[in-house]
Amino acid sequence: MNEFERQMQRALARREPSSDFTLRVLNAVATDPPPERVWKRWLREKWNATTRFAPVVAALVLAAGGAFYQQHQRLERGELAKHQLLVAVRIAGEKLHNAQRQVVSIGVDDSMN
Amino acid sequence: MDVVLSAPSKSLTGEQPLALPSFADAVETNKAMVFSIGWHFLRDRAMAEELAQDVFLELHRHWNGMKSAEHIVFWLRRVASNRCIDEVRKSKLHPLRSLEESAEPTALERVQDPLLSAYLERMIASLPEKQRILVVLRYQEGMEPEEIAKVLEMNVSTVKTQISRALDLLRTKTAHRLKQQAEADGQ
Repeated sequence: MNEFERQMQRALARREPSSDFTLRVLNAVATDPPPERVWKRWLREKWNATTRFAPVVAALVLAAGGAFYQQHQRLERGELAKHQLLVAVRIAGEKLHNAQRQVVSIGVDDSMN
Repeated sequence: MDVVLSAPSKSLTGEQPLALPSFADAVETNKAMVFSIGWHFLRDRAMAEELAQDVFLELHRHWNGMKSAEHIVFWLRRVASNRCIDEVRKSKLHPLRSLEESAEPTALERVQDPLLSAYLERMIASLPEKQRILVVLRYQEGMEPEEIAKVLEMNVSTVKTQISRALDLLRTKTAHRLKQQAEADGQ
């Protein structure tokens, strides 16, 4: 080390902070909130990230729910209409059957007379 | 900034790691080191004290990760150095004039030993940030370039080159000043 470097060392000699520095640090430490555990911080950060997109997610869920409900209603109406049609067909079938039976019975009566 | 630093892989000085002191003892032992890094870098007592306090608060938050007294010193040097650079960048506290542009001391300011130290301090404070922290760690802390490279996560060759450049600049500036003074004394 040459003279210039020794001069640099003298110029950059350590200095002391104010006399109450340690006390101030210890006071600051005493009022500092306890360090958060890693997993807690991870959960909090994830939660914050999630809540940031909550309105968008809620809107998407509502839209999907609405579409699903409408589809469900349409299917129910279709099922009801199908059921009513089957009932109508069955009634019509029964009536037709009765009419046919009456026609057949009239035909038999005429042949006997 | 979340700072988690591992202990140096082996003792930088080749000595056995020292046992972990209490937090208060760690503050008492290392306060001059941390404060001086801040002071020589920022040239502002209040800012240097605030920075040192923040660094020790951060140390307290990471206290469970500390392995030895040596690890604490390594950690403090790294965090203090990074904080100094961040502080300057954050507050745009770049030197008003670069070293090349710095005015020479007035004729009344004789460059004798104590004044030469003050002159050098001022010149060091006007170095670019990276060079400044390297010079502070090299001459305040007496660290070897290899140790500085580990603390600042830099190439050893870059550290050596940057320190050499800073020294050349400071030497030229100081020699010029001494020459001027000698001429003034001769008249």
